[in-house]
Amino acid sequence: MTTTGTATREPRGEPTGSGFESLAEREKAVRELVARTCLTMDAYDFAGYLDLCHPDFRYTITTYSPELRKDITWLDHDFAGMETLLEVLPLHASDHFLRLVMSRHLGVYTVAYSENDTRAAVVSGLQVFNTARDGGVTELLAVAKYHDVVALEGGEAKLLVREVRLDTRMLGETGSLIPF
Amino acid sequence: MSRNATEWRRRPTLAPTHYVDPRIYTDRALFEEEREKIFKKVWSVVCHESEAPNAGDYRRCRHMSGKELLVVRGVDMKIRAFYNHCSHRGNLLAMEPSGNARRITCMFHQWSYDTRGNCVAITRQKEGYQDRVSRKDMGLREVRTEVGLGGFVWVNVDDGCGPLEEFVGDSLDYLKEELSAKPLEIISYHKAVVNSNYKLWYDTNSELYHDFLHHHNRKIALIQPGYWDRRVHVHDHGHVSVDSMECRYDAYEGNDGRQRRLGWPGGEVACHKLIDLFPTMTFILRAPAFRLDTMVPLAPDKVAIEFRGFAVKGDSAEDRAARVRDHNSIWGPFGRNLPEDEIAIVGQMMAMKGGDDSAYVLHGREEPSIQNEIGMRHYYGEWSKWMERGASDPFGNRAIAAAE
Amino acid sequence: MARTGTQWRTRPNLPLTHYVDPRVYTDRSIFEEEREKILEKTWAIVCHESEAPNAYDFRRCQHMSGKELLVVRGKDMKIRVFYNQCPHRGNVLAYEPSGNARRITCIFHLWSFDTKGNCVEITREKEGFQDRLSRKDVGLREVRSETDMGGFVWVNVDDDCGPLDAFLGDSTEFLRGELTAAPLEIMCYHKAIVPTNYKLWHDTNRDLYHEFLHRQNRLIAMGQPGYLDRRYHLHVHGHVTADPSVNSYENIEKGSGVERRMGWPGGESALHKLCNLFPTVTYNMRPPALRIDTMVPLGPEETIVEFRGLGVKGDSPEERRERLRDYNSFWGPFGRNLPEDFIAIVGQSIGLNHGRGSPYILHGREEETPHSEVCIRHYFAEWSRMMGRTAADPFGELPAVAAE
Ligand code: FES
Ligand SMILES: [Fe+2]
Repeated sequence: MTTTGTATREPRGEPTGSGFESLAEREKAVRELVARTCLTMDAYDFAGYLDLCHPDFRYTITTYSPELRKDITWLDHDFAGMETLLEVLPLHASDHFLRLVMSRHLGVYTVAYSENDTRAAVVSGLQVFNTARDGGVTELLAVAKYHDVVALEGGEAKLLVREVRLDTRMLGETGSLIPF
Repeated sequence: MSRNATEWRRRPTLAPTHYVDPRIYTDRALFEEEREKIFKKVWSVVCHESEAPNAGDYRRCRHMSGKELLVVRGVDMKIRAFYNHCSHRGNLLAMEPSGNARRITCMFHQWSYDTRGNCVAITRQKEGYQDRVSRKDMGLREVRTEVGLGGFVWVNVDDGCGPLEEFVGDSLDYLKEELSAKPLEIISYHKAVVNSNYKLWYDTNSELYHDFLHHHNRKIALIQPGYWDRRVHVHDHGHVSVDSMECRYDAYEGNDGRQRRLGWPGGEVACHKLIDLFPTMTFILRAPAFRLDTMVPLAPDKVAIEFRGFAVKGDSAEDRAARVRDHNSIWGPFGRNLPEDEIAIVGQMMAMKGGDDSAYVLHGREEPSIQNEIGMRHYYGEWSKWMERGASDPFGNRAIAAAE
Repeated sequence: MARTGTQWRTRPNLPLTHYVDPRVYTDRSIFEEEREKILEKTWAIVCHESEAPNAYDFRRCQHMSGKELLVVRGKDMKIRVFYNQCPHRGNVLAYEPSGNARRITCIFHLWSFDTKGNCVEITREKEGFQDRLSRKDVGLREVRSETDMGGFVWVNVDDDCGPLDAFLGDSTEFLRGELTAAPLEIMCYHKAIVPTNYKLWHDTNRDLYHEFLHRQNRLIAMGQPGYLDRRYHLHVHGHVTADPSVNSYENIEKGSGVERRMGWPGGESALHKLCNLFPTVTYNMRPPALRIDTMVPLGPEETIVEFRGLGVKGDSPEERRERLRDYNSFWGPFGRNLPEDFIAIVGQSIGLNHGRGSPYILHGREEETPHSEVCIRHYFAEWSRMMGRTAADPFGELPAVAAE
């Protein structure tokens, strides 16, 4: 995929190559898509989350380890892999992890469209917070960036690639059965 | 029947070797004593040689005794370990977790050391010390180190300790082939600071009764042929090993019907071999992935656990990718098993706070199968030797209860 | 006149009963001793029965002694309280603050318990334990509990304690109407972890002299007729009640159209009744809402304070809304009073500076008004009795005075 990098064309109110009514509509669709992935995952609405994903979806969680001086990948799934992972979650540890209150806070930094208008590369800042069920104290679990590629086809936006690039490498006490 | 206080505190009908007093997990004085009597006396792995592959590479590590260490590969390619501690005013020499330096220079007043721990520069030495301090007396503190048994860097901070070989005994023989057929290479590292006692993590690593906790393990092992035929074996110095079986990874939904096909040099495809080394280490081979746990106990109710994943040096790109995937599927911070184990040991500590009143913690299962708890009993047998205390009555004040 | 160091450290010219040594609020060994001699010996509320309204409901609570508890309503509708701890390897049974379960199953090795605390399943019992261990010996630890004084679940972890009745004496008599006319129901809950000593919170709850701090109280109570005619009443075991005050809420809520009209069954709408129970519980009745404070002291300078707001069972939605509004206006986490009290007790903790700050804390006011500090003196009299130490001289450093 090629992206224009700096191509932030002003919405002009005319149809786009990828089937959106206007550039403004296209921009809105991209931003909402990214936000909805957080909202659905926060709500453990896995079907809703997968609905946002492209059939060729690829999801990874990666980080750089200064200990090993190299990149580490901690989770790597295609659509089917992600689907089963989420499906089986309730069977793990009496669904303890599905009771956690996780909230993903997102800020979209940049959106860059490809020349042929069918892809958007989106970089967002992410913080994941954990709120204790008992008493409700909130702590920061992780900071990361989403490096997303959004597929734009027929007036629809779908998440094609997501790399969760973690800054945080110690993830609470237990790590997480639930993807960010 | 539910129990009142007297019944709750009554010793179980089991032999005293078959349970422990929960205070061994919560008591501050016992913890300090463990540090003196055990952590500062026995061998443990602090990292793998592939974490410092080139001449001049260093790796900052923490020994289980709490001591900061600097593991350095010299220009002679030999690995040495030093206190990560400047001889001048005690500053930490390496602040980065890893790096490469021909000379290790302290940032504070810029004293320098070579990779053998010799002090090679004292800034304005003559002006300040005249002939009163000599560089040759200002070397780093080097600790007993051996690199072996799979390329691990073993350290003992007690200069008077016996050899590593004697400490490990025959406990690792069971993995000898796998650890020597080809060199290992690190592929994953992460750590977790967990509000629990380090021995609770070790217990969990050495008992398989809690396979019930892991949906993944129930599917791939517990309900599969061969599971119950496995036995737990004890070795000198408190170490334990567990027989292998061929696990059926394809039976776990999350693997999408994929069995682990890539094996491990010298080992069998989909084998599961487990060795626990007293007091803080676990080697687990689930071919094609290999995991090592080490721990730095920070307080009775706090432990830093380090998890390392290994592959085989010279892997093809595909093989490497398969090992990484299989390691992470259960053992990474987003894996299926590790978080489950961790909530269990955190849960144990939540309940044990205020420990002297709580029930005895049982290690009482005896059966000719993998769920025999002889592993934990063997551990506490060793623990009692070093500590000169029985684990079921560490303060010698439970006798009255026993007499009841 | 400002004081020199010596003057600052000189004991006040008051009897030993009229001030305390600041170390009773900061010293670690005193705190541990309080746990043993007071917190593990006396009755305290852990929750309200409406928090587990249905058969098989459970509520995870923490007792003031620090112990994890599980409050369970059985299918016989009776409430029982257990340690939230698995007798097997000591894991917590419930991680969730509340839920509903016919059987309580530990996640670790799947041992199960019924709502009476009987162990009803040991996974692979015969295989592992043969006849050496019986289910009937590994029931949960049940603690003394009584559901009383408005449907609150009272717990004492000392099996040999006296009955709740005897502990409360006649202290709750003047609230009996309100607590019995209709069943209560919990309507809100929140907790705070405060870096201060638990007794400072309780002092503040007792002490009406500090109403100067609260704008709301100045407006609704302090200027009202009869305000200064009220007296404290001392009861057994250090408990204290204050004569009700008449409040004119319209003084603060003027112009907003908000009025407190609704009363409380068995009580009068404008009367504020306060009952402080040694060592950690406060009943605070400000119709139309009742607030209950309970505490779990975590350390000498760290305390969990739990706040419960109660309404009347069967309230209409409008009534409930009004009770909640009135409760929250003072006492919710966004209320006008609670944050003010907190800054005061946190400020005290800062001022005490781990016992090295101010030399003596005064409780010396004597007057026939609600500004008498007899309420706090009465608390420390009980405290001194149970601790076997004088609060003004907890370490017996005053031989001369002791002879007085
Ligand atoms: S700790 Fe509860 S079943 Fe083992
Ligand atoms: Fe496990």
